[in-house]
Amino acid sequence: MRPPLDGLAHGLLAAAGFMPERASSVAEDVDHVFAFIFWLSAFFLALIVVLTVLFVVRYRKRASRPEPEPSPSHDTRLELLWSAIPLALVFVVFAVSTRTYFRMTDAAAGAAAPLRVQVTARKWSWWFDHPGGKGAPELHVVARRPAELVMASTDVIHSLYVPEFRLKQDVVPGRFTRMSFTPTVAGTFAITCAEYCGTDHSRMTTQVVVHPDQASFDRWAREGVAPAATLVDMGRRVYAARGCIGCHSIDGTPRVGPSFKNLWGRDEKLSDGTSVRVDEDYVRESILKPGAKVVSGFANVMPPVPLDEREIQGVVAHLQSLREAP
Amino acid sequence: MTLAARVEPHAEAAAESYLEHGRGPRSWLLTLDHKRIGVMYLVAIVACLLLGGVFAMVLRMNLWRPAGGLVSNDTYNKLFTLHGAVMIFLFVIPGIPAALGNFVVPLQVGAKDLAFPRVNLLSFWLFVSGAALFIATLVVGGVDTGWTLYPPYSLESARGLGILIALAAVFLTGFSSILTGLNFMATIHKMRPRWMGWFDLPLFLWALYATAIIQIVATPVLGITVAMGFLERLFHLGLFMPEYGGDPVLFQHFFWFYSHPAVYIMILPAMGIVSEVVSVFSRKPIFGYRFIAMSSIAIAVIGFFVWGHHMFVSGQSRWANVIFSFLTFLVAIPSAIKTFNWLATMYKGAIDLKTPMIYVLAFFAIFGVGGLTGLFLGSLATDIPLHDTYFVVAHFHFVMVGAVLTAFLAGLHYWWPKMTGRMYGEGLGRLSALLVFVGFNLTFIPQFFAGVAGMPRRYATYAPAFQTWNRLSTVGAFVLALGLGVALWGLLASLFHGRRAPANPWGAASLEWTVPSPPPHDNFETTPRPGKPYDFSGLRLVSEEAGWVRGAAEVAR
Repeated sequence: MRPPLDGLAHGLLAAAGFMPERASSVAEDVDHVFAFIFWLSAFFLALIVVLTVLFVVRYRKRASRPEPEPSPSHDTRLELLWSAIPLALVFVVFAVSTRTYFRMTDAAAGAAAPLRVQVTARKWSWWFDHPGGKGAPELHVVARRPAELVMASTDVIHSLYVPEFRLKQDVVPGRFTRMSFTPTVAGTFAITCAEYCGTDHSRMTTQVVVHPDQASFDRWAREGVAPAATLVDMGRRVYAARGCIGCHSIDGTPRVGPSFKNLWGRDEKLSDGTSVRVDEDYVRESILKPGAKVVSGFANVMPPVPLDEREIQGVVAHLQSLREAP
Repeated sequence: MTLAARVEPHAEAAAESYLEHGRGPRSWLLTLDHKRIGVMYLVAIVACLLLGGVFAMVLRMNLWRPAGGLVSNDTYNKLFTLHGAVMIFLFVIPGIPAALGNFVVPLQVGAKDLAFPRVNLLSFWLFVSGAALFIATLVVGGVDTGWTLYPPYSLESARGLGILIALAAVFLTGFSSILTGLNFMATIHKMRPRWMGWFDLPLFLWALYATAIIQIVATPVLGITVAMGFLERLFHLGLFMPEYGGDPVLFQHFFWFYSHPAVYIMILPAMGIVSEVVSVFSRKPIFGYRFIAMSSIAIAVIGFFVWGHHMFVSGQSRWANVIFSFLTFLVAIPSAIKTFNWLATMYKGAIDLKTPMIYVLAFFAIFGVGGLTGLFLGSLATDIPLHDTYFVVAHFHFVMVGAVLTAFLAGLHYWWPKMTGRMYGEGLGRLSALLVFVGFNLTFIPQFFAGVAGMPRRYATYAPAFQTWNRLSTVGAFVLALGLGVALWGLLASLFHGRRAPANPWGAASLEWTVPSPPPHDNFETTPRPGKPYDFSGLRLVSEEAGWVRGAAEVAR
C-alpha cells in the first residue's frame, strides 16, 4: 500500500513512508503544502533550539564569568525585523495553502458529470446510495471520474474521512454537507469517522472501493438491485403517501404549488424578489419550513411535513428523476 | 467572618508570616488573605492535575493494544471526557492565574491584597463547587460527551443527569475564572503605588492583565452557551438540536468563541512566567520589554477572531474558512516576537541553570513545536486531512500541557521559596525537569506521526498499523508521570527538610523579593517604592543563606 519513496522534496514524512498513499487528485498538492510548512517549521525550530543550546553553553554563569556582558535592553529595528519576517512568511503559507484548498473544494467542478452518491451516517455505520439505485454499506466510485457526496446524518454529527484522499467532511444532522473529489488510484481505502459520536465511534469504519473504470462500476451497480429498494422509489412513495401529490404535479402543470417536473436544479424566483437554486438544502427547507422561501406566484399555504432524513433524500432523488436532460 | 482573625493578639508581631497568622481550618477556609487563597488554590489544582493524570494513564494503557480491552468503549469515552474536562477547566485554565497569580499579583504591585479579597474567596469556593460537581458526574454514571460537549450528541435525551451536572460545573468554574480576572484587572489598575507606571510592571502582570481581558470578555459567552444547552436539554427550545429546529453548528460557534481564547487564558500566564524566569536567571534585563508586553495584549485581542479554525470541516462556508485561516496566521506573530525576545535576553547573559531556568529551556523547545505545528492546522489545505486526528491531539498537548505545564513548574519552583519559606532541592528539581521533558516528548511526538498516518482522535480502539506510535506514547506517559512524581516529591520533601529561604534567593528585582519568605500577613509595612522590575544592578549575593541584597554593591566596588 505504501508508495515508492519519492524523495526529500515531499518532506521527511512522505519520504520515509509515514504518510498514507496518495489516491485523489488533490493529495499531491496537499502534501506539497505540508512539506513546505514542515521545512519552514523545521528551520525555525532548529533556530530556536540551536540558539538556546548555544547561549546556554556560551553564556553559562561560572566562576570565571559571574556577571553578564553589557548588551542592549532592546533594539526596535531588530525587533521589527523579527516581527516582519515571520509575518511575511505566514502570508506566503496562507496564500499557498488557500490556493490548494480551493482546488480541494472544487475537485469535481468543470469536469464530466460527477458521480453523485447520497451518504447517510448514523450510529455507528455508513450507508451509500449510488446512482442507479444501488445502496451499499461501502462507497463505490470510479478512478479518474469526479465524485460528489451529498451527506446527511440521522442522529449526531459524524465525519467522513479518507486519509488517502486527504479529505474529510463533517456530516451534520439537519443539513446536507458535500464533499467532492476525484479518485486517482483504483483500490480499496478505509473510511473512518473523525467526529466523536459515542460508544462505537472508533468502529464506525467502512471502505471506499475505487473501480478502475466505469464498466466495472456499472457491473457492480447492476448486481442484485431490487427496484423497490431505490431512493427514487421511496421518493415516489413519499410523494403519493404524504400528500405532496395533492398540490404538486409531476407533468409540469402548476397547481397550488409548483410542479415537480424539471424543478430540480432550476433557479426559482421567490415572492420577496430574490431567487434560489433548487438543491438538497432548499428541498429540505421547503419540506420542513415551507414558509421560509415561497416561490413567486404561489401562496404560502403549505404545512410543514415532518419527513425523516431518508425520506427527504428520497424526495430529492425523485425530483432528480423528474428532470429531463437539457 | 474574619473578625477573629483581625483582632489577633499578636498585632505587634510584624515579622509573623502569613502561614502563622491565624491557626486552625477556619482561618484557612474563610481567609481573605490572597496568599492563603493562592495556596489553597494550589493544593486544589494539583489534586485536579493528579486526578486528570490518573484518567490519562488509564487511557494510555487501554491504547497499548489496538483492540483496547482494559476498559469498555463506554468507559474509555467517559474517561477521556473527564480527563479533558478536569485538565482544562480545573487545572490548565485556573492553574497559573488562580494559584500562582493569586499569591504573586499583590506582592508584585506592592499591595496588601487584591482589590476585592471577598470576591477572591468567593471565586475559590465557586471553583471548589464546580470541581465537586465534576466529581459528582461520576456518581451518576459519568458523562461521555467529550469536554467539547457538542450537540446533538451531548444533549440527546439518553444522556441523563450527568450532562446537566457537567454543564452546571462548567458554569460555576467559569464564574470563578471571571471573578479572578476581574480582581486582577482592578488590582493592577488601582492598587499600584502611584510611582509605579504601566511599563514598570513585571511582565507576569502584563500577561495576567491580558489574560484577565479574555476571562472577562469570553467566559460569559461560555456561561451563556452552557446555560442554553441546559435549557435546550430540559425544555427543547430549538437552539442546538435539529430535531427541535435548532442548529448544532451554532453551538460550535459559541463554544469556540470562548474556548479558543481560553487557550490564551492558559498560555499567556505561562509566557509571563517565562519572561520573569529567563530574565532573572540570565541576570539581564528582559530584552524588548515593550514588545513582550504589547504582544500579550495583541494575542488577547487577535485571539478573539480565530475561533472558526476549529470548524474548517464543520460545513461552514468556504469564505468563512479562508478568513479564519488568515486571522489564525496573524495570531502566530506575537508568539514569534516573544520567543525571539526571550532568546535575545539570554544573549551575553550569565545563565544560571537552576530548576526554574531548566524548565524554561524545556518550554522553549516544547512551545516551539506546539506553536509551529499550529501552522499545519491554521492552513486549510493541511488542516482538512489532519483535523480531528492525533496530530491535533499532539499539537494542543504541546501547547496546553507541555508549554503550560513546564512554565507552571518553572513558576512553582521559582516562587516556592517565597510561598513556603523553604528552598527545594536543586538535584531533584533538575532531575524532574529532565524527566518531564523526555517523558513529554516521548508521549506526544509519536502522536504527530499517528495523526499524519490518519488515526482519528477519541478512538478507544484503532487499526493495528498505528500500534507502534501508541506504544511509544504509552511508555512516554509513564516517564512523564515519573517526572511529575519526582517534582512533587522534591517540593513536598523541602517542606520538612528544605533550607530556610532568604527574602531574595534568586537576585530578582521585582517587589515580591523585597519582603521576607514567607511574607508577613500584610505583605508590606509601608507602601514600597519599586525600582525597575528587571534592573539587577546593585544586587549582590551575600551568601546562600542570606540571599541577595541591594545597596551594598557600591561599597563593594
